Amino acid sequence: MENAAQINKEVSIVAYYFKSGLRRLKCFPKKMEYQGRVIEFSETGLRHPTKKGQRMIHVFDMTDGSADYRLEFDAAALTWRLVSIADISESPQDIPYAKPSFASQ
Amino acid sequence: MPNLHLPLNKEAPQILHIDLNSCFATVEQQARPLLRGKPVAVTNRQTPNACVVAASYEAKALGVKVGMGYSEARLYAPDLILVETDPPKYHYVYQRLVEIMRSYSPDIAMKSIDEGIIDFSDTREVVNKRPLTVIGYEIKQRLRDEVGEWMKCNIGIASNRFLAKQAASLRKPDGLDVITHKNLRKVLSTLKLTDLFGIAERNQARLNACGIYTPLEFLDAPSELLKRQVFKSVIGEDWYQRLRGYEIDDQEWATRTVGRQYVLDEMKPSDQLVRSRLAYLCETTAMKLRYKGLAARGILVYVRYANGDYWYDRKMFKSTFYSNAEVLRRAMLLYNRRPQDDWPREIGVTCYQLTPSNASQLSLLEEVNREVWLTEAVDRINEQFGEFTVTYASSLAAKKVVKQKIPFGSTRYFELLLNRAD
Repeated sequence: MENAAQINKEVSIVAYYFKSGLRRLKCFPKKMEYQGRVIEFSETGLRHPTKKGQRMIHVFDMTDGSADYRLEFDAAALTWRLVSIADISESPQDIPYAKPSFASQ
Repeated sequence: MPNLHLPLNKEAPQILHIDLNSCFATVEQQARPLLRGKPVAVTNRQTPNACVVAASYEAKALGVKVGMGYSEARLYAPDLILVETDPPKYHYVYQRLVEIMRSYSPDIAMKSIDEGIIDFSDTREVVNKRPLTVIGYEIKQRLRDEVGEWMKCNIGIASNRFLAKQAASLRKPDGLDVITHKNLRKVLSTLKLTDLFGIAERNQARLNACGIYTPLEFLDAPSELLKRQVFKSVIGEDWYQRLRGYEIDDQEWATRTVGRQYVLDEMKPSDQLVRSRLAYLCETTAMKLRYKGLAARGILVYVRYANGDYWYDRKMFKSTFYSNAEVLRRAMLLYNRRPQDDWPREIGVTCYQLTPSNASQLSLLEEVNREVWLTEAVDRINEQFGEFTVTYASSLAAKKVVKQKIPFGSTRYFELLLNRAD
């Protein structure tokens, strides 16, 4: 079984935004600040939109090469939320920046 | 007897079948690069007894099969990584796939969440003059460009849907094959009867009983033999034409039943727990009915017990129903009649005798109108803020436990599945 820790907390994200002509604005998270650490993303796995009622949420599955991070961007409130951290080699207790208490906000 | 000696269909192949390889597992590997190249199993719940609904190619190579319990799968692949299903992700890939397919022809049909068909019959001369193999390789590349580099799909090209699907299964993963009247016999000679889609153990036994042991013998069998002795119905005639490359599977079937079932999450569940789960099933069944604009007249409730016994009861009503309250009330009428000799293991509810809903028709009875208005008001709130924002307290406990399943066969309720508040 994989080790996933639910975080569900607002985080500070540095993202690049691109728009070309009439094409939609595209967003790429680059860095995340969480619990005093700066995590630099190396790759975007998948970016997909989803809805919570009428709210549009963009889900980003990111990795920094050692763990996978799920981020949600609320397109209305313009806020970023770190939903979970998953690691396939360590237990949740070993992930230094994840609390095993499955804290939710 | 017009089809007694029907020749092979010699028309140029116009059906292109696309099949995403190990769809859910591949999408998870696409989303999470750390999972790539590793054995991954996707399940609906993260429990040791959960059933594997998709396995990555790395897991399949180790012997993991779809349908296995997670504990059993671990025996084959000790390093198996368990990932829980995530419908929005699959829906996104499904939408991208549909967009890609529509860009080639308006005549497309999604057979399931990870399978689709493009029919080029009417657009070939005008829009797509390139060979279908070229279009097939282009679709593969577009899937990688538009979804992600890890995405792979199998493509099959043939003159009907059955052979196109068969062609798509010849080389996995990431294959592209064409079946025409020229290579049909050669392809069939490499297959077993159970490799054919639609032929499992029972049909194989039927064929064997009539002296048919290989797909080639199946192809050469006369129509009358298949119809009168093997399948003993018109299905035999269908197989006769299907194997020869004639299209008979392009029919759309109307929805005849709507329902849900659930394997209980406790071995010895209390009556309150079972009623809570049943209330949830009724609520989601009613939501499906309204989503399709249907009302039902009949309802069936079943219980499977721990000792393997199975009980069901059904009833037809004079009036139609589609609201959560009415489905629940009528289901409970039946459920209360169940035998209580053993622990229930699985419950289910199914609505049948479906007709288009008459919700917009004002009733002479005030209480009927009030129920319709209440249902509409609750639906509007839930549409705005997400499903189950307003819901029954009786099923509240179930909502935390029961996971909405991935729609395997049909994608009819996909939009409904995604509008969740949590």
